[in-house]
Amino acid sequence: MAEQQKNSMVESIGSAVLENIRHCGRFSRFQLASVLASCRTCFKPATYPLVLTQMLAIGVRSVPVVAVTGAFVGMVLAIQAYDQLAGLGIEEHLGVLINLSVVKELGPVLAAVMLAGRVGGALTAELGTMNVTEQILAVRSMGTDPIRYLVAPRFIACLLLTPFLIIYADFLGMLGGYLISVPYLGINSAAYWDFSASGVEMWDIAIGIIKGFAFGAAIAGVSCYKGFHCKEGAQGVGQACTEAFVGSFILILGIDFVLVVITKAVYATLWPLKILL
Amino acid sequence: MEKKIQPSDGIIVLKDLSKSFGKNVVIDDISLTVEKGKTTVIIGPSGCGKTVLIKHIIVLLRPNSGEVYFHDQRIDNLPEKELNAIRTRMGFLFQGGALFDSLTVYENIVFPVRQHHHIKNQKKLDELVKTKLAMVGMDGFQGAYPAKLSGGQKKRVALARAIALSPEVILYDEPTTGLDPIRSDVINELIIKLQKELGITSIVVTHDMASAYKIADRIIMLHNGKMLIDGDAEQIRNHSDAVVQRFINGQAEKSDLKALRQSSADIKIEDIEQ
Repeated sequence: MAEQQKNSMVESIGSAVLENIRHCGRFSRFQLASVLASCRTCFKPATYPLVLTQMLAIGVRSVPVVAVTGAFVGMVLAIQAYDQLAGLGIEEHLGVLINLSVVKELGPVLAAVMLAGRVGGALTAELGTMNVTEQILAVRSMGTDPIRYLVAPRFIACLLLTPFLIIYADFLGMLGGYLISVPYLGINSAAYWDFSASGVEMWDIAIGIIKGFAFGAAIAGVSCYKGFHCKEGAQGVGQACTEAFVGSFILILGIDFVLVVITKAVYATLWPLKILL
Repeated sequence: MEKKIQPSDGIIVLKDLSKSFGKNVVIDDISLTVEKGKTTVIIGPSGCGKTVLIKHIIVLLRPNSGEVYFHDQRIDNLPEKELNAIRTRMGFLFQGGALFDSLTVYENIVFPVRQHHHIKNQKKLDELVKTKLAMVGMDGFQGAYPAKLSGGQKKRVALARAIALSPEVILYDEPTTGLDPIRSDVINELIIKLQKELGITSIVVTHDMASAYKIADRIIMLHNGKMLIDGDAEQIRNHSDAVVQRFINGQAEKSDLKALRQSSADIKIEDIEQ
């Protein structure tokens, strides 16, 4: 009896491990196929209208939410940090704190999280419903690769437009921080911008934008995969949307961490060069 | 001794086909040849593997074992890219139509054409869509979105899309399910018309016996993943097998009736509540 129980436990652990490995394999193959199909799409002008349609839905329509997210991040930072800096008598440095946090970290990450919710959710729900109603199968039955037709335009649109949306979030974040710091908290405008300009480098802004490409790819990759592999029924689509959001959120945080470590190392290596220049 | 099936025996040949999902065996060693220009109807109770079987013909599913041939060429082991060329020679009518609901009727029909041909002449495309829609009696609906169409209209538009590339073979997955008798008959007439006028080979999966008798040159019945019978309408009607007779006459099994009678001595909610 005990032996049997032990066997069934080993069996269930084994099958869970196997299922996870299979899942990883499917995910990797899907991503590889998406990247290849996206590269091919770039060289086929006939498919550009599809990409533009997705750019409108994914990019242009996301501008308001991303802008609002950015603005509030800047405003909240200003109010939170003011007291501490004023206590030390260096409230003019508020600009560096706000702008650096916004362009390097909070702008990109929060904009990406917002996009994971808005765009990722919509992508998964749309592709999931198409999957459940056999529309993806219909694409295949007509001799067209569904990854090329459905995933590639969404992948390209997400990849290219997330950095732009991050620029919007950064800009509104700076504006929000400024509006609270200068007119409301009464910090000297010239000092505010002077300290900001000396503290924020092009490199910092570039890091935020580079992150944008990675976040965009992560959102599209996870959401499309979840849509393509969602289970039957309304519950299946709902579950896929939840998994897509949680998955892309965690992936965004993970990618953010890895990129911070890498860019720090790159900066440390290149720093002596900067002095020479 | 039965003659072994050869790949050149018909336009489509299935050889010793088996498919299982996990431990559930859906198709169990089926061999079948489909003659060119004929309508083959596959009947059988729900869940007996009919749809899975025709999805193998266009290789939307790949078999666990066995082979699929189209025009004497083995296709079940081809990579997706090569299959795409073959799929353009077949049309598949999905059970729910599977129209793209973000596209209009016009765009749905143009979709396969644009994917495989570079037609710049807009007028010619309009004409093509008009002809295909007229064939299914849906001309004039070009600008409508699928959500606005009724079930029967959706199926007819889906059929127009399936014949957009003028395929040699059309696979119909329950074309009359969920339609009223008159609409069902319109679809039947369409299938016959396509076969007569264009010489299309049709494979129809259905459990609508009226439709099966009307359109079939040959009827095949599946049961528990195996081929139970294979013959023309007359042979099916006069078949001695009890399972076949029950199915074609729509009679419930004795065990089902017994269960029903037992459950009529029903447990009342009030009794449970107490």
